[in-house]
Amino acid sequence: MKRSKKAALVLMVPVATLLLAGCGEEREQAMVFTDPSECSAAALNSAAQCEADFAAAQNLHPQVAPKYLNKEECETDFGAGQCETAPQQTASGGSVFMPMMMGFLAGQMMNRGGANLQQPAAAGAAAGGPNVATQPLYKSRDDRGTFRTATNAPVAKGIGPITLKPSQVKPQMGQVVSRGGFGQQAASRNSFGG
Amino acid sequence: MKRISVAERANWRAYAEEVGFDFHTFDGEPYWDETAYYQFSLQQIENDLETPTEELHQMAMDMVGDITRSEEMLTLLNIPRDFWSYIWNSWNNGEPHLYGRFDFVYNGTGPAKLLELNYDTPTSLFETGFFQWVWLEDQIKNGVLPERADQFNSLHDKIEQAFAQLDLPQPFYFASVRDNLEDRGTVNYLMDMAAQAGVDVRYIPLEDIGVIEDMNGRGEQFVDLDDHPIKGLFKLYPWEFMVQEGFARAITAANTQMIEPAWKMLLSNKGILPLLWQRYPNHPNLLPAFFETGTSEPLGAGWVRKPLFSREGANVDLITATGEKISAAGPYADGRYVRQALQALPKFRDEYRNADTYAMLGSWVVGDSAAGICIREDESLITKDTSRFLPHIILD
Repeated sequence: MKRSKKAALVLMVPVATLLLAGCGEEREQAMVFTDPSECSAAALNSAAQCEADFAAAQNLHPQVAPKYLNKEECETDFGAGQCETAPQQTASGGSVFMPMMMGFLAGQMMNRGGANLQQPAAAGAAAGGPNVATQPLYKSRDDRGTFRTATNAPVAKGIGPITLKPSQVKPQMGQVVSRGGFGQQAASRNSFGG
Repeated sequence: MKRISVAERANWRAYAEEVGFDFHTFDGEPYWDETAYYQFSLQQIENDLETPTEELHQMAMDMVGDITRSEEMLTLLNIPRDFWSYIWNSWNNGEPHLYGRFDFVYNGTGPAKLLELNYDTPTSLFETGFFQWVWLEDQIKNGVLPERADQFNSLHDKIEQAFAQLDLPQPFYFASVRDNLEDRGTVNYLMDMAAQAGVDVRYIPLEDIGVIEDMNGRGEQFVDLDDHPIKGLFKLYPWEFMVQEGFARAITAANTQMIEPAWKMLLSNKGILPLLWQRYPNHPNLLPAFFETGTSEPLGAGWVRKPLFSREGANVDLITATGEKISAAGPYADGRYVRQALQALPKFRDEYRNADTYAMLGSWVVGDSAAGICIREDESLITKDTSRFLPHIILD
């Protein structure tokens, strides 16, 4: 026989369902604090761990914070007086601005059974949060109550333990994304196959 | 090789739409056409099509290494110099290929003549591998065709098998131009077969692909809309466009495995036709072909002129033996040309439309094996993207 033994479709027929990977990702515990003393007071981590997490977030801050070429644009997003000069410069030597760090997210939690955490913050959350990256947090101009990641993902309304999916708060290390670099000839030529 | 009129299946349009074949009719004109089928003998299939397809594939593959080492040939093919080492790497690292299609002139007797290679972005895959296969099964079930009728069409089996063996990075992404229905259909079908072979498949419109780089403008990587890295990508978009566009530089920096690989750029180029003719003069399956120069004589009777890079018959001019000039318009008039001796497509009588029709035969290659054929019909000697697709059978 010179033809296929079968020619079946699994995705193209309407009854088929495709389970997307990622849907099953588990939430993990993490903590949000404004500074290390607040963190120590919560007694979920040692004072030394709190200091270390804060320092790690501060280190990451200039690398991941959103960057602006002028201060006004930065303040439009983050509020008057809420922006600072970034250590980076543009290729022509101009200044770059970024929002100030307003808090930090800590992934590691040493003292899960601690006095201040009477109940797990959310039943079913995976312990420890080993996959949540410690990182700086920001607050936008029009929503001062919410801590957000550098990529504008809201993580908490206040300080303390939270649960979240690690992939939602994965920091993008000083990276710049551009799109639309393929398909530029798509408009002038309407057929690409052969 | 015969053209035989036959009744259409009662509900084929509804069925086509149900399985995602949304482009069965294009701008009110039929694209899938089952008012007739072509019948071949097994000997025609095996001796005249299957064997020459694998031989021509080997001949073309044998040239790739030589071209990657030859500045002269790379220049003749208009390959940007910035990509010479990248292409050389893609070939010497053995980056795997998936599929391609030869287009032949064949009338049932004598050697099939190679018109061109579609080795980078071949479409009409779903129509061949799935829809004409189902057509035959239905027509046998309906008693219209005998049980022993067969088809040269192992495309579905072979592509699924290839995906199972390729060991692709996971998840593996598939990209086509947004809003292009036909290209999307081809990609959907490939994704379907890949998923059946166990590949974790993702679709991304070509325009949504991102490049992420560090603050020094280095370390480029292709990413999806969630900024997840794209480690493996099937792109239904010509290499010759990709190397000219904004992300061209990122291609050479990123470590994304591409299907088809970059060396396919050398074979999807019409310049491979004169290079093959030079290497294998008077090969029975080849037509004389030459690069056009700035001072070439005017196109003469019995010759065809094609841009180096063109798809679906666009910008092709031909002059028949009797001096009649036929041209297809298109957007590819900005490059260089090759000339190929004209071998006219065989003419058949379309009884349903009471008109003459010309048939071109596509012959598929998956990996390095011949994997089936498809037939396109047009009222003109130039087969275009609007040309109708007809099914075929093997019956002795």
